[in-house]
Amino acid sequence: MQLSPAQAEKQRTVERGSIPLEAVAKKRQWATVRRFAENRLAVVGLFVIIVLYALAIFAPVIQRYPYDEITSGMRNKPPSWDHWMGTDRNGRDVYSRIIKGGQISLAAGFASVVIIMTVGISLGAMAGFFGGFVDSGLMRFTDILLSVPLLLLLITAASLFEPGLRTTVIVIGLSSWPGTARIVRGQFMQLKGQEYVTAARAIGATPLRIMAKHLFPNAFAVIIVQATIWLSYAILLEASLSYLGLGVRIPTPSWGNVLQDGQRELIAGAWWLTFFPGLAIFITVLSFNLMGDGLRDALDPRHRRR
Amino acid sequence: MDSGIWAYIARRFLFLIPLLLGLSIVMFTLIHAAPGDPVTAMMGERAASNPEFVEQRQKQLGLDKPVPVQYLYWIGNILQGDFGKAYTFNRTPVLELIGQRFWSTVQLQFIALLIGLMIAVPVGIVSATRQYSKLDNVVTVSSFVGLALPNFWLALLLQIWIGVKLGWLPVISTGQASADFPERVKYFILPVIVLSLPHIAYFARFMRSSMLEVINQDYVTVARAKGLGPNKVLYGHALRNALIPMVTVIGLQLPQILGGAVIIEQIFAWPGLGDLAFKAIGQRDYPVILAVTLLAGAGVMIINVLVDVVYVMIDPRVKLTGAQ
Repeated sequence: MQLSPAQAEKQRTVERGSIPLEAVAKKRQWATVRRFAENRLAVVGLFVIIVLYALAIFAPVIQRYPYDEITSGMRNKPPSWDHWMGTDRNGRDVYSRIIKGGQISLAAGFASVVIIMTVGISLGAMAGFFGGFVDSGLMRFTDILLSVPLLLLLITAASLFEPGLRTTVIVIGLSSWPGTARIVRGQFMQLKGQEYVTAARAIGATPLRIMAKHLFPNAFAVIIVQATIWLSYAILLEASLSYLGLGVRIPTPSWGNVLQDGQRELIAGAWWLTFFPGLAIFITVLSFNLMGDGLRDALDPRHRRR
Repeated sequence: MDSGIWAYIARRFLFLIPLLLGLSIVMFTLIHAAPGDPVTAMMGERAASNPEFVEQRQKQLGLDKPVPVQYLYWIGNILQGDFGKAYTFNRTPVLELIGQRFWSTVQLQFIALLIGLMIAVPVGIVSATRQYSKLDNVVTVSSFVGLALPNFWLALLLQIWIGVKLGWLPVISTGQASADFPERVKYFILPVIVLSLPHIAYFARFMRSSMLEVINQDYVTVARAKGLGPNKVLYGHALRNALIPMVTVIGLQLPQILGGAVIIEQIFAWPGLGDLAFKAIGQRDYPVILAVTLLAGAGVMIINVLVDVVYVMIDPRVKLTGAQ
């Protein structure tokens, strides 16, 4: 029997009975962690992400050569013991460039998501909480932004302004928030009808306080899943922009531009210049997706897919 | 199917007018807020030494007027069906340029979508009916893989491996248009593989969960209990209902197609809208950029309305509210 959310909530309240609320909260947290840990794929994703961030943080120690060191006579050498992922057209060590590029790509993805979440959550919260013309105005604006294919919007914006890491992050951040805004709006609209919100209002809490203290924590599960999913999208978008030559600019390496720089050597047989950066993007996006999926299932067992 | 639905459709379409005007303002503002101008972009280095020529050319293109005035001229012409001439591309009328490339993109994307669905739907069904089997696990893992593969990476690897190393298929699409039917198929294979893979992954995953949800409904249990064979239950009762949410999901995927087309059409030198958009953006060809984004936006909005309409028609549980 499928319970509607309201019914399920009621049932849980009944089950809880006289157990102190704090204990319930703690128990629920552990249940979430346990559900996540049971999902093997999600755990693998989380593990890989930790490794990737560690590699990015310790990049200066891990890279075996300076990422921009040009060695003459080492043009397009295949992978070997000295150069694990070969060398590029300028005799630079591809492994070191990918480690450094990972630092840039992961940081760019993270910064973009910070912007997406800040804009998306604040606008979505306002729309959901206040309703009325604030809501319809903001929602029509998201309708407009969502009607243009995201990548087309990004390419237009990125190419018109000075290309580079900063432009890339800002452009991705400012174009990608509508989806999150809508989801947060939906959550807030649903939550603001709850009794505890009415109670808070009755004792005179300000809208800002209600949103921050009562609504936000309850929408947190949805927000964290959104953030995870957008981390993978943002990395893919940054790579796509850099691949088109509109994102991070050489000499600063990012996975996308290392790949773009290397692809012209494909015909000459230098596959490693294309293969490894693409593999890095693939593994990162895959891990984020696996983790995001696991998080969604763990945080919201009602929506469990399997 | 009464007059209510027509009122609903009319209302939805009327509602698109302010949205499209909004979109035109957003895009126009974005483009004109950027530093630099098309004339300098076209002339490159030579612009600095010919300030008079630059000024004259800007006047010719109407770029010397204030931005709001330029907008009014432009939108006024569009409302009369005139999208203007491109700044570059030999000053071809914008609509003619788009017309030349429209079918090329639609053909490719439609085939990819169709093949994607034709593979994804059966895979999703089988995966759902054998939940947790080895096959189901393989499908789940592969759909994660399919969604995470960067399309440009896959395209390049396929080009070099199948196109160059094995020499089986053409790498780029030059000559595609003049080729005859059996020969022409070859040009489609690689781009279609790259474009349909994420569709397969996405739709199969969705089909699986949609099917699982339906299988556990009471009416399916009832159908089974009254002695219907497993196939009749599955295809007579469950499948039809599991397919309904697919309509929405397909509708949600369509907008992103033109974005993906930009990259794939670059790699395969496919003469479509994505390629046109990319070139126009690089040359700051304002009329072309604006027309492509505006038409893409209009297309997406119309598809959204159609999806909702189809949904009302196929799902009797959905009722129109406020249509009267």
